[in-house]
Amino acid sequence: MIKRMLTNFKKYSFLMSQLISRDFKVKYKRSVLGILWSLLNPLLTMTVMTIVFSQMFKFQVEGVNYIVYLMTGIIMFNYFNGASSAAMTSVVENFSLINKVYIPKYIFPISKCLFVGIDFLLTLIPWLIIILLTYFGLGDHICQININYILLPYIFLCLFLFAAGMGLLLSCISVFLRDIFHIYGIIITLWNYLTPVFYSIEILPDFLQKLMKFNPLYQFINCARSIVLYGQAPNLTHLVIIGIMGFGMFTIGGLVFKSKQDKFIYYI
Amino acid sequence: MIKIDKVSMKFNLGIEKDSSLKQFFVDTFSGKKKKKQEEFWALKDVSFNVEKGEVVGLIGSNGAGKSTLLKVVSGVMKPTKGQVEVKGIISPMIELGAGFDANLTARENIYLNGSILGYSKKFLDEKFNEIVEFSELRDFLDVPVKNFSSGMTAKLAFSIATIVNPEILIVDEILSVGDIKFQEKSKNKMMEMIKGGTTVLYVSHSLESIQDLCTKVIWLKHGQIVKIGNPKETCEEYYKEQME
Repeated sequence: MIKRMLTNFKKYSFLMSQLISRDFKVKYKRSVLGILWSLLNPLLTMTVMTIVFSQMFKFQVEGVNYIVYLMTGIIMFNYFNGASSAAMTSVVENFSLINKVYIPKYIFPISKCLFVGIDFLLTLIPWLIIILLTYFGLGDHICQININYILLPYIFLCLFLFAAGMGLLLSCISVFLRDIFHIYGIIITLWNYLTPVFYSIEILPDFLQKLMKFNPLYQFINCARSIVLYGQAPNLTHLVIIGIMGFGMFTIGGLVFKSKQDKFIYYI
Repeated sequence: MIKIDKVSMKFNLGIEKDSSLKQFFVDTFSGKKKKKQEEFWALKDVSFNVEKGEVVGLIGSNGAGKSTLLKVVSGVMKPTKGQVEVKGIISPMIELGAGFDANLTARENIYLNGSILGYSKKFLDEKFNEIVEFSELRDFLDVPVKNFSSGMTAKLAFSIATIVNPEILIVDEILSVGDIKFQEKSKNKMMEMIKGGTTVLYVSHSLESIQDLCTKVIWLKHGQIVKIGNPKETCEEYYKEQME
């Protein structure tokens, strides 16, 4: 079965790359700076967020570089938000294709997650630049670049799988229940505030702190932060937990999608 | 090549109403039993075989189930009942240009649409010039497709879809695209493919072109087969029935 999945994947990888490059072309059409925006946008957003949270609201987190703390949280949460939301609408948007040509339908949500993923990888460049700037006095604390950075790809992979699983699930639901577009918008806002992106977990009441264990996004972000801010590898339990969360969500989304996909055509 | 065995296809006409949350709550709390959805059988117990190299025409009035049948054969829809067995590579031409992105240029769309039809990058690189030549759109390669006339779009789509020599070609009312010159050209291209041994499923309302091209005709009515037979006879009977 895995072999069949792989040959299938290989067969449609060109289609997937075409869909991704279409997304890029459409996104940066008629823009002077084009793909540079993928780099500039996070930098400028960061500047705004830093000013708002550290200057206006006087947020800070004890003992760490707040700018890097904030940025790590934001780029990871934004990836999840962007990928799962884009994947959610992808099946309904491509209905005219699904209705006419046979294509495995999972291609659409997955290619969206990859497309947003490429954007995410680009934002890692300004992110690294900010980290390097801490050596030159940006913020109060220096963020040491260390050997544990080799764990970052694993963490990002878990995040990707989680987002993709969520995207598969949502895109499947959206076929039967369009209300999900609106509902998910609210959920994402709530989720954003419930995830310590710009604040520290310590300011939350006890029961929320305990609940935070079950927030996958917090777990992903926390693992990345412990590497970047403290130079410490997350302990093995945490690494296993995020693995289970990522693969688990991916499996759930995939199975739900697979069991419902033949019905899509009657509902869109 | 193609084996269709007792295929039936059911649609629920009421399905549109159900897909909002409000409706769901209304139905759940009002205590009313959900009305039985109106069922519509687009295909009922359809069976036939198509051998390699046959050119099969499908005729029937609007809503007889022709397009549904093509969708079942090409794998877009799974039949409610029955078996579909297809051996060989299918090139679907159901509604040309379905895979175009209007914001992209013709050049970009050749690759996008090609990949949707399952062509490889290498294949498209090799055949790129041939596609452009056939479509007669060389001067418009870098123009976004949204600025194309419908005839131009159809020409481009036809050229991409027919660049392969598929084992099975599915054609839904497309030979009427483009200007007269292009119509002639596309017809010749089809003939060429048929001579090369391609199996064709062809839907058209033009009985003339059906009789020209096909070796066998299937007449559908309300989702059922009325007659399978030789093109001339079947078309004449069909014409007579329609005119009554």
